[in-house]
Amino acid sequence: MEATAAKGAADPTIGVPSRPLILARGLTKRFENFTAVDAVDFEVERGEAFGFLGPNGAGKSSTMRMIGCVSPITDGTLRILGRDPVTEGPQIRARLGVVPQQDTLDLEMSVQENLYIYGRYFGLPRAALRAKVDALLDFAQLTDRAKSRVEPLSGGMKRRLTIARSLINDPDILLLDEPTTGLDPQARHVLWDRLYRLKQDGVTLVLTTHYMDEAEQLCDRLVVMDHGRFVAQGSPRSLIAEHSTREVAELRFPPGENADAARTLAGVLTDERERVEALPDRVLLYVGDGEAALGKAHELGLSPVSSLVRRSTLEDVFLRLTGRSLID
Amino acid sequence: MASVAAPGRVTIWQIVEHELVDARRFWRSVVVAGLLTPLLYVVALGIGLGTVVNNHSNALGVPYVQFVAPAFLVAAALQTAAASATFPVMAGFHWIRYFHGMAATPLSPRQICDGKILWIGLRCFVSSALYLGIVACFGGLHRWQGVLGIFAATLTGLAFAAPVLALSATVSAEGQAFNILFRFVVTPMFLFSGTFYPISQLPGWGQVLAYISPLWHGTELARGAALGNISDLAVLGHTCYLLGWLLAGVALARWRFRVRLSV
Repeated sequence: MEATAAKGAADPTIGVPSRPLILARGLTKRFENFTAVDAVDFEVERGEAFGFLGPNGAGKSSTMRMIGCVSPITDGTLRILGRDPVTEGPQIRARLGVVPQQDTLDLEMSVQENLYIYGRYFGLPRAALRAKVDALLDFAQLTDRAKSRVEPLSGGMKRRLTIARSLINDPDILLLDEPTTGLDPQARHVLWDRLYRLKQDGVTLVLTTHYMDEAEQLCDRLVVMDHGRFVAQGSPRSLIAEHSTREVAELRFPPGENADAARTLAGVLTDERERVEALPDRVLLYVGDGEAALGKAHELGLSPVSSLVRRSTLEDVFLRLTGRSLID
Repeated sequence: MASVAAPGRVTIWQIVEHELVDARRFWRSVVVAGLLTPLLYVVALGIGLGTVVNNHSNALGVPYVQFVAPAFLVAAALQTAAASATFPVMAGFHWIRYFHGMAATPLSPRQICDGKILWIGLRCFVSSALYLGIVACFGGLHRWQGVLGIFAATLTGLAFAAPVLALSATVSAEGQAFNILFRFVVTPMFLFSGTFYPISQLPGWGQVLAYISPLWHGTELARGAALGNISDLAVLGHTCYLLGWLLAGVALARWRFRVRLSV
């Protein structure tokens, strides 16, 4: 207790350093007869990049909307910046930056006007906003489009504008709901670069995604959500270590022969963490040493049409935990 | 990055500011339409039809143009209000979704709703003032008190816009409800609210429709102000009726905005 108080006094920018920026206990969201978020617990600390990973309908957006104080919680406890969204929604929202899943820009207004008006909604004075808008245009690489209407801009530009807009109030927490869904690879990499810079500047990021590469690039810590619950949590690296093997060997056999090959391949596994997964078009061997497993497969008389060995990724963890069937 | 001064107070005037920035792009067309509409009505009906009416009788006691001009003033405000409370609101929730963007700021759904109503009121007020100026140029203003018609028109516009706003915040189809609203509510209201002739000319059921219609109450107020043939009690009654619509409409609209923006 004493140590905490001393640390707080040494760092005047942080009121109570031991307090997480977001604290959720038994957080629940129900719609009529459907439970979108089912009693989840989590904490987000200052300066962290925290991700919600999950298939469509897992409850990521519902969680984000509750954190954004636009969706009342059904049950449990939620504290953001130490405040209660039920009673202090506007005060909390004043300190948040929100990048929603769908853009909510005013398409008729110019890029510049969108930033300016949004700043006014936070009660920021007009004079101060001018400099801020210019800085954000620069950050979003939109300076030369400042006077263009928003409507004809590309998806990537609109997304960058939405991110710039979310920073107008220098938020304590930036909430990003699927920030790069629907963008081409170039636009995604530009956005990641911008988000990474924010992270370096110490902005707390909370994001949802169903792109594993995005989660690996940006998140210090993440939770995998499915059916409104957390099915795993940790750093990308620890999740891979915990829920997958070091390597994956992919063996492709002619159509119709993959299931039979998978049964034979069960013989190459060396411990209980390793496993075989038969897909319609190929067989996956989750093993510690992929090359060794391939060698053993050949010894067993199997000759795949093609094969490759790769490192396990977050995607393997994700599919393991949330299944391969389509969720619509 | 440049830092920003501490946030100030957030008020519904910031929504009006948004609308004004938006309006910079199309204000010319609004003004031109705002000038042309009264001009066409006054010339076609007030002077054209008026010549026929005036030649056949003096039953109205005043030149026809002075009889219809205050009614057109109120009807125009109501149409402006109805247009502002339908498609742009649908766009805010559904097509462009900028209300959802506002809801993520310190603004509450109630402030977003109130700001929209305030903007509609200001629009009605300014367009009514413009309208009355044109009408006055063509001899449509009988006495100076007719200027009070601007307030009657604004109140009528607001009284109708508020419940329409609640409707717009509720529907999620592609504006089908609005076609019904304009075809079966706004247009008949224009025809049966004593705009062109006193409602005493209508059959009993028609008069009942007129009594319900906020447009008739607004028309009576504006015409009373313009011609001076209205009792204080009538002024009070019509005003209260319109205020009743406005208050009920605002309550409904705030409720629907809250439901739509915080789920």
